[in-house]
Amino acid sequence: MLACAHIGRGEGMLHEERIKLMTKMASYEENEGRHNIAIGNYFRSDYISLQVMKSIISGTLSFAIALGVYGFYHFETVMKEMYQVDLLETGRKLLLTYVIFTGTYTFISYLVYSYRYSRAKKSLKKYYSHLKELSELYEEDFKR
Amino acid sequence: MTNLLVLKEYLKGIYGKYEIYITPVVKFLLSLITIMLINAKLGYMSRLNSVTIVLVAALLCSFLPMNFMLLTAAVFILLHLYAFSLECAVVVLALFLVMFLLYFRFSPRDTLATLLTPICCSLHIPFVMPLSAGLMGTPASAVSVGCGVIVYSILQYISESVSTLNTMDAENAIQKYRYVVDGLLNNKTMFVMVFAFAVTVLLVYMIRRLRVNHSWTIAIITGTLVGIGILFAGDLMFDTNISIISTVIGAVLSLGIVKLLQFFVFNVDYSRTEYVQFEDDEYYYYVKAVPKIMMSKPSKTIKKITSQNKSAAQPPRATGSVIRKTDKSGMK
Repeated sequence: MLACAHIGRGEGMLHEERIKLMTKMASYEENEGRHNIAIGNYFRSDYISLQVMKSIISGTLSFAIALGVYGFYHFETVMKEMYQVDLLETGRKLLLTYVIFTGTYTFISYLVYSYRYSRAKKSLKKYYSHLKELSELYEEDFKR
Repeated sequence: MTNLLVLKEYLKGIYGKYEIYITPVVKFLLSLITIMLINAKLGYMSRLNSVTIVLVAALLCSFLPMNFMLLTAAVFILLHLYAFSLECAVVVLALFLVMFLLYFRFSPRDTLATLLTPICCSLHIPFVMPLSAGLMGTPASAVSVGCGVIVYSILQYISESVSTLNTMDAENAIQKYRYVVDGLLNNKTMFVMVFAFAVTVLLVYMIRRLRVNHSWTIAIITGTLVGIGILFAGDLMFDTNISIISTVIGAVLSLGIVKLLQFFVFNVDYSRTEYVQFEDDEYYYYVKAVPKIMMSKPSKTIKKITSQNKSAAQPPRATGSVIRKTDKSGMK
C-alpha cells in the first residue's frame, strides 16, 4: 500500500489536495490497480511468455479431456479397431488436431495478454504520475 | 419520477452507509437462491438438500470471493449428478473443466454473468443477462453468458431425461454416457440460444457506446428485438420448439428489469447536453458532456418552540417541536 504509507508523514493541518490524491490512489490500489501492479512487476516478454506457457498447459489439458470424452463415446469402435488402424497415421492426425487447437488458443491468449499488459502499463503510468504529484506536494509542505 | 429519484438517492445513501453489511447479505441471498434452484432442479443427493448444509454453504459464500460461489454451485451440481448417475457427473465435470481451463482463466471477474444466466433462464427472464452484460460488461461477457446457457441447457436436459436414463441398464454405462453427450452436442435449442445471446451482448455493447442520445435505451430495445428475432429464426430453421408466447413475455419482463437497472446505473438528462471544445499542447478535445439526473434528499428542519413562563398567572403554553419538510429539490 504505497499511498497509505504516506499518511503518517503529514505534519500540521490536513492537506485537502493531498488527501484527495491519496484516496484516489488507495482506491486504485485496492481495486483494478492490484492486478495492474502485479502485471507491472514483469517485463513484457516475461509476462507474455508466462501466460502463453499457462495457455499451452490449459490447452493441452482441455484437449486431453475432449479426447477422453471422444474416446469413451466411441469406446466399442476404438477397442474393435485398435489393432487394425494405422497407428502412425492416427497419431499424425491427432497431433495435427492438437497443434491446430492449442496453437489457435495460444495465439488468442497471446493477443489478449499483450493487450492487457499494454493497458496495465498505461494505467500504471497514470498512477505513477499521481505518486510524483503527491511527492511534490510533500516537498512543498516540507519547504514551508 | 421525482419520487423515484429521491428513492434512488436514499438507496444510494443507505448502501454507502451500510455497504459492509449489505454486500455479504446480497451475496448470501444470491448463493442461497443458486443452491436452492440447484436442489430443486436436481436434488438427487438427499444430504445436500438439508437446510443446514444449504445455509452453511450460503454463509460461506457470503464472506468469500465471488468465484467461490461458482465453485460451490459446481460442487453441488456434480454431487447431485454423481448420486443420480456417474456418467452424467463425468460429462458435466468434463464440461466444467474445459470451461474453467479455456475461458475462466482469462476473465475470472466475469463469473457472475455465468452464475446469473442459468438463474435468469430458470426464472424465465433469460434476456436480463445478455442485456445487462452488454450494458455493463465487455464483449468477452458474451462468452460468459454463453457458458451460463450451456450449463443451464445440460442441467435442463438431464432433469428432463431422468425417466429415460433410469430405464437404461446400470451395466450399460456407455449407453447412458452417449445419451448425455448426444444431449449436449445435438441440443439445437442450446446452440441457437448461445448464438442469440452472444449477438445480443455484442450488439448492446456496440450501440451503448455510440455517441447518440439515449444510446442505452436504443441498445436495450434493439438487443431485445434482435435476440427474439434470432430465437424465432432458429426455431424456423432448426425446429427448436421455442415457445413464442413465453419468449415474448420473458423478453418484455427482462426489458423492464434492465430499464430499472439502467435507472440506477446510467440516468442522464440529454436535454442539458453540452458540447465543449478545448485544446492542450498535443490534442484538440471535442467533448460531449451529459449531466446525470440527481435529486437532493428532502431535508427535515426541526424548529423547537419552548414556552416561557413569564408569569405564574398565565396558563402554561404547550411545549413541542415542529418538523418542517423543505424540499431543496431541483435537478442538479
